[in-house]
Amino acid sequence: MDTTELWIGAQDVTDVMRRLHDDEEFGFELLADICGVDTGSEMWVVYHLYSTLTPDWLRVVAAGLEREDPRVPSVTFLWKGAEWGEREAYDMFGIIFEGNRDLRRIYMPADYVSFPLRKDFLLADDAARSPGEGFRHMEQTHQPAENLRRPVLRNGKLGSGTQVAALGLLPDETEAPPS
Amino acid sequence: MTETTKIRSLDDPDIFVETPATIFDAVPPFPPRSEREAEFYHLRDGEMLINLGPQHPSTHGVLRVVVKIDGEKVVDLDPVLGYLHRGVEKICENGDWHHAISNCDPLEYVASMFSEAMPVLSAEKLLNLQVPRRAEYIRVLCWELNRIASHALFMGWLALDLGGLTPVLWSFIERDEIVEMLAALTGQRLLFNYLRIGGVNRDLNHDFLSRLGDWMSRAGNQIEQGTRLLNENEIFVRRTAGLGVLDRESALRLCMSGPPLRATGVPYDVRRAHPYSVYPELEFDIPTRTEGDSYARYLLHVDEIRESIKIIDQVLHEMPDGPVMAKIPRLIRIPPGRAFIAIESPRGQYACYAMSDGSDQPFRLRIHDPSFFNLQAVGALMPGNLIADTMAIMASLDPVMGGIDK
Repeated sequence: MDTTELWIGAQDVTDVMRRLHDDEEFGFELLADICGVDTGSEMWVVYHLYSTLTPDWLRVVAAGLEREDPRVPSVTFLWKGAEWGEREAYDMFGIIFEGNRDLRRIYMPADYVSFPLRKDFLLADDAARSPGEGFRHMEQTHQPAENLRRPVLRNGKLGSGTQVAALGLLPDETEAPPS
Repeated sequence: MTETTKIRSLDDPDIFVETPATIFDAVPPFPPRSEREAEFYHLRDGEMLINLGPQHPSTHGVLRVVVKIDGEKVVDLDPVLGYLHRGVEKICENGDWHHAISNCDPLEYVASMFSEAMPVLSAEKLLNLQVPRRAEYIRVLCWELNRIASHALFMGWLALDLGGLTPVLWSFIERDEIVEMLAALTGQRLLFNYLRIGGVNRDLNHDFLSRLGDWMSRAGNQIEQGTRLLNENEIFVRRTAGLGVLDRESALRLCMSGPPLRATGVPYDVRRAHPYSVYPELEFDIPTRTEGDSYARYLLHVDEIRESIKIIDQVLHEMPDGPVMAKIPRLIRIPPGRAFIAIESPRGQYACYAMSDGSDQPFRLRIHDPSFFNLQAVGALMPGNLIADTMAIMASLDPVMGGIDK
């Protein structure tokens, strides 16, 4: 791997980050990046930290978040600037950052319902291939349980499963969600 | 979901008429989506909301800022992003690594040599690829030229936002020379698409070198003249010095980088903090200031232009011969892994976190844009200032909306 990695669970984020930030031994004053990742089977939140004591980045990965309800504590109490980064991860992946006072969509419109960077999000191209359905595919309420059952596609990589869905080989997506 | 708002009739102020709320109205989606939103849209006595943008010329793109004002004073503000959102990260995941280069180009459209480096550098790190030295030098040359062009534009826009027209014309002279020079090298003025995984697209040519030599003989001349116009200009100094002051701690807490962070006294520059390419071999300083106000940010940009000219001078003297592309197959599969790379763009740390699953497409390409994090500081800088100063403060943070909205 290119840099030091620290794999933790969501429950440890607050303690680990506070220790790394406050402890003079570490001195990770700068949050270089915060982002969400969807691996297809689980969600991660990836932090990159920088300290003047080492020329290397430290990557902290909060792994193992459930795709159906990804939750992780916010780090805005240490870095106010993480607020927008967390908003972006929420907007794109639906990850809930507990403790972020301003957790709302940042790029997509307020009435948007799905999370575009998830691996099971349908692209316009794929959606348009499905006869008569057009672009409405993109804006369906996210149905995690249904999506998880979809096969893994595309060169053996954790694909979006979009082509198969669009060709109608899978259960129809357009069914009304159970209320 | 049609919301209506009641407004006073223009004919008779005693009558209220209902109008449907449009997206341009400063009303929150109902119910408020977050604690902070509920707080922001609750107006106390004497307060009102106005929209700046999304097409205000001073917002440097399409940014909408809902400003809560009390008289002339800004009480609070709520930037609304997303007008330029193109979903670049998603597009990159659905094309191959080479397509990602041109997809990342329009992110930072003022200095796109930096944003297009993101997929290139991360793929090279995942491949553990050694780039030919000549290619590294050419990259550094292009980056520093582009940095000067971008900083020149910054100085012009800052003065323009304060109402001075002359500096922007002068800095455009400087910028245009560089941009035309890069066009002679890359074939494009703004979105270069020049870097490649393993090197650069083509070698330096005669047209580029003659233009560069011509420019270097009087490098930064226009900028120096422009600074003479601004540095001690009373109106300019009064409207920037002491305004938008950030201290070291809050700048770090706001995850800022680049000139706004260095203006508060933190010598954080990725070129020195986490050296990449051939920067460790070059001699240059990291200018810092301690005042942390708009004027310090402006002066820092001027100093950085001088440092960049120094770097270009060294690069031209030490440019080695050799190939400009490593020998790699055209259809490239990137080995599985994770890589984080960062470079110092004119606006700060441009970083990329790439994940590959062994196929020819990126599994995840996270682009960290410095303007996105720097722009957040307006929430801390503007309250308490006059509404006329908001644009000057925002311009001093040098946001580029293409990168912010991705």
